[in-house]
Amino acid sequence: MAFALTFLLRRLSQGLVIVLLVGFVIFSLLRIVPGDPVRIMVGPMATEEQVEQIAEDLGLRDPLPVQFGRYLADLARGDLGTSFIKATSGASVAGGRDDGSATRAQVLDLIVTAIPFSALLAGLGVLLAIAFSIPLGIAAGLYPNGWISRLTFAISSVFVSLPNIWLGILLILVISVQLGWLPAIGYKGIAYAVLPAIVLAVELSAVIVRALASAVASTMQENFVRAGIVRGLTMRHMITHHVLRNSAIPMLNLFGAQLGGLLLGSLFVVEYIFNYPGLGLLTVNAVFQRDFPVIQGVAILTTAVLVLINILVDLVSAGIDRRLQY
Amino acid sequence: MSSVPSHFWYSVNGRMLRAAWTRPQFKIVLIFLVALVALAIVLPMLSSVSATSISVRDRFAPPMLWEGGTAAHIFGTDQLGRDLLLRSLIGLRNAVLIGVVSVLGMFLLGSLIGIVAGYMGGVVDTVLMRITDAQMSIPVIILAITILGVSRPTPFSVILVLILAGWPTYARVIRSVTLTEGRKEFVRAAKIIGARNLRIMFRHIAPNILPPVAFIAVLDVARMMIFEAIFGFIGIGIQPPVPTFGNILADGTKYLINAWWITVVPGLFLFAALISLNLVGSALESARNEVLGGGSHDSRR
Repeated sequence: MAFALTFLLRRLSQGLVIVLLVGFVIFSLLRIVPGDPVRIMVGPMATEEQVEQIAEDLGLRDPLPVQFGRYLADLARGDLGTSFIKATSGASVAGGRDDGSATRAQVLDLIVTAIPFSALLAGLGVLLAIAFSIPLGIAAGLYPNGWISRLTFAISSVFVSLPNIWLGILLILVISVQLGWLPAIGYKGIAYAVLPAIVLAVELSAVIVRALASAVASTMQENFVRAGIVRGLTMRHMITHHVLRNSAIPMLNLFGAQLGGLLLGSLFVVEYIFNYPGLGLLTVNAVFQRDFPVIQGVAILTTAVLVLINILVDLVSAGIDRRLQY
Repeated sequence: MSSVPSHFWYSVNGRMLRAAWTRPQFKIVLIFLVALVALAIVLPMLSSVSATSISVRDRFAPPMLWEGGTAAHIFGTDQLGRDLLLRSLIGLRNAVLIGVVSVLGMFLLGSLIGIVAGYMGGVVDTVLMRITDAQMSIPVIILAITILGVSRPTPFSVILVLILAGWPTYARVIRSVTLTEGRKEFVRAAKIIGARNLRIMFRHIAPNILPPVAFIAVLDVARMMIFEAIFGFIGIGIQPPVPTFGNILADGTKYLINAWWITVVPGLFLFAALISLNLVGSALESARNEVLGGGSHDSRR
């Protein structure tokens, strides 16, 4: 218990530093690049004085560290700022259509509304990927020279070479347009999440299947497997009780370090292809509209989530394999 | 080959290449890949039509073997009557160029940081590795969106983003190679005869870093080509009218129902290049395991 506590404290403080660092870098990047968001907000008809006035009101003319400090103070109170563009009603109020009556949406609200959609999609994708890869990966690892291993290698080579944008388009073309089996664009029910989830699953499976096969294969080579057999345990018992448990550690690390980023990246792209109303679509649209508070909020949030996942993974691995605590 | 000194084939790098070359699939895939890239470089130069020349009469021509297709446009044309074969090949050329240059860049930056961190150790190591960790926890797509999304993207800035996103992997692997190599006798011997740190790092340790990262680099070229396509698709890649896979696919999605080939054809070219790169990379990976006796230097993939 003491181990878990000191471990958590140390890693959480390190993680906080990383998130702050990333936050500051992204915050500064968004402010030094050309393209004045205020100009986009008020539209081309506003005078230079009006632009300056609004920029002043929003605090966009203060020095960077001051702006970042203010942002952090708000962040600590759970306030991610307000969108430059989106109104509470969801409509876009930029480009001079802002008649003053529309209140701009809270970034936090926008994110909170989008998260369930993204979570549903990501969850479905991970579930599909696991259902597909775990049996295949374990079988390939147990028979490293058999046909199933070659098949697994072929499948993962094809999967990793399929660009997600192309696969998404092909699925829309064949399943939605030609066959009419599943809807593809937007979200009106869980059926809309199936095709994008398949794209996610293909990308994840490519990595999981190969890593699992090599983890199981190398665990099978270890001395303790032979020792168990010599002591009279059956192969089946060794595999179900010992080999799989030992192969779980590299898999967990993979889930934290690599799959988190991979999942997030493809989530953004896939949501954009399928016009699926999650975090990714929100962010990509925010880029087109130079809606800095939204981009910033999503960037800091996703980095924090990735850091947390990594900490959690290390904690769980230490729980499975006590040797890692020392 | 005559320009390569004969002892090269007995070095760790030479042995790895030989081990890869003995696999028949490796040869076939490599030849296919070289031929495809050569075609992508040569054909646009020889062709009389330009990839950006618009011809309203030839719009939406399907591939040759389909009804209404012509031999003039083997793979059909897009919504502006531009030849899809030519556009796909130029897209491929641009993607390969961006992939190779960015991987070279991340390899150089990663090696520099990895060797210095691994060899110097102590505070230098800690600081460099914390930076590496921080960089690793920024998702590529977020980095790309913040840098490319808010300024007008150029080939240079696309490459820069990819290098920024990719170097930490190389730094980590190369640091761990440097740690093991740095303890070996030849490094101690070099120190005893008075070699300076810089000389040891870049003359004695650097040649040993290639085997563990060669396959990662080949696989990464494929990954970077996918990223380039994604950037183009979202509109934060190289801008039209320069053909890239991303912007051809993005255009094609508007005509999905009537002209499927605009999206299918370029994707096939990209897929062919990616799968050959991935197979070459996998062959190099197993060749490395054969030469170095298995085991990986770092938990990656």
